[in-house]
Amino acid sequence: MRPIIIAEHLSKQYRIGAHAGQRGAVRYVTLRESLVEGVRASFRRWWGGERSVAETIWALRDVSFTVMPGEVTGIVGRNGSGKSTLLKILSRVTEPTSGRAELYGQVASLLDVGTGFHPDLTGRENIYLNGAILGMKQYEIERKFDEIVAFAEVERFLDTPVKYYSSGMYLRLAFAIGAHLSSAILIVDEILAVGDVNFQMKCLGKIDEVTHDGRTVVLVSHDLNLIAHLCHTALLLRDGHLQRVGPAREVVDDYRTVLSSGDGQEAAL
Amino acid sequence: MALLEEIAETSGMPAYSLPEYPLVTICPSKKWVALNLRDLWAYREVLYFLIWRDIKVRYKQTLLGVAWAIIQPLFTMLVFWLFFGRLAGLPSDGIPYPLFAYAGLVPWTFVSNAVSSAGNSLIGNPSLITRVYFPRLIIPCAAVGAGLMDFAIILLFLLVPMATYGVAITWHLLLLPFLITLTTLLALGVGLWLAALNVQYRDIRYVLPFLIQLWMYSTPLIYPTSLVPAQWRWLFAFNPLAGLVEGYRAALFGRQWDWTALSISSSITVVLVVTAAYTFRRMEKTFADVV
Repeated sequence: MRPIIIAEHLSKQYRIGAHAGQRGAVRYVTLRESLVEGVRASFRRWWGGERSVAETIWALRDVSFTVMPGEVTGIVGRNGSGKSTLLKILSRVTEPTSGRAELYGQVASLLDVGTGFHPDLTGRENIYLNGAILGMKQYEIERKFDEIVAFAEVERFLDTPVKYYSSGMYLRLAFAIGAHLSSAILIVDEILAVGDVNFQMKCLGKIDEVTHDGRTVVLVSHDLNLIAHLCHTALLLRDGHLQRVGPAREVVDDYRTVLSSGDGQEAAL
Repeated sequence: MALLEEIAETSGMPAYSLPEYPLVTICPSKKWVALNLRDLWAYREVLYFLIWRDIKVRYKQTLLGVAWAIIQPLFTMLVFWLFFGRLAGLPSDGIPYPLFAYAGLVPWTFVSNAVSSAGNSLIGNPSLITRVYFPRLIIPCAAVGAGLMDFAIILLFLLVPMATYGVAITWHLLLLPFLITLTTLLALGVGLWLAALNVQYRDIRYVLPFLIQLWMYSTPLIYPTSLVPAQWRWLFAFNPLAGLVEGYRAALFGRQWDWTALSISSSITVVLVVTAAYTFRRMEKTFADVV
């Protein structure tokens, strides 16, 4: 059997300017900054000085792995280890700086719930809008409409603008749409912590169902029990490097050891 | 391979028939990339739903709804008429001044609104860029597309003053679809340029209203093109909207067509759209990292 996802040497470099606010985020520049930088650069070239090297970080460095069809792969790692960057690359939101990935199936990604939701539109309208944005065809949305509504438990409020929804209802509806995507590959970021305990159980049930459908799922979660329970395989990322790949339970145990060994040792490594 | 799949099938396990070639290949793109119209076509429903969202929200949020579309050009027309037509006594090529002004404001209202909403469309919808993939070209296209609804309303409303003044409808009107297409393309071209630049340089957002104002004064809305001295007409023609606005007047009131000006307008418009689309595609790959 051939893999459905082949990732080879994926790397992503972010440039962080001196003024960058957030770590790992490139801030937009103003025209003035560009002009000033341009003038400075040309002066430097004139004087034969070294070129200005913007401060850069590698959010992801030389990551290669494969995923077999029907496999559920979890990605674990600390904050800033490159989990989200990897998901963003796989869902084509951002381009890798180098390396390549091949996907042998339609991809849908749930990096967030309720992308494109408009507060003034009704629940019904937002289902169509969000469904389309997530890559569903209109007939697909129509076919799954009742299922989505029932799953989100918002039947009575279908024609109410979502700005009047409670935050729980809003998130339930948003999650329900994503949960009914039917692509061969599903990419899911930490979004399972939605709603109350009852709904969370339902979400987990849904994910379980999806994984038993023979669909390929790549998911990020900080909930290690969840990863150990749901996933066949797990990737452990650390500072953008792929540190370990293997059966989910083993990788999770490994990661737990790293976590409990404390920060001091981490810094020394 | 085939055997494995067969076994999988007979043993009740789901059979995976993977395509021979990857459906999606992810790799760093080259500096200049193709427009990828096929991808755009595949995501056409997103375009449709985004336009639908904009229109729906617009008419839902505002109490006056459809009336807003007409109020803007109508009051601008009244102000122009009062100050420039009556007080300043500007000529209007023999067309009643209110009609003259409104005919120019029909494309202008659309273009100015479409350009500013397309220009701000990307930075106004960051989650569409950082959370989900579809061709980003769709976002500013939807902003322009949503403006077409208002455009139609404004154009239809023109029948009221035309009937009041007893303007006869001529065969010239048949060229209106051609002008509307050109106007839409022009708005798209300028809108795409500004949208892409706006992500990279946030100054654009502040410069935009000012640019639109300058554009308004350099377009024959208040005054007729005939007021511009003959030796400067060629320079004037570089504003693609100038030729278009006079085109609308020619079509609506059955006047003389200035084919030279119109062909310059069309050429510039086409160049704008093509360069804008390619520039947009080139800058697109960094949108998610910068927005």
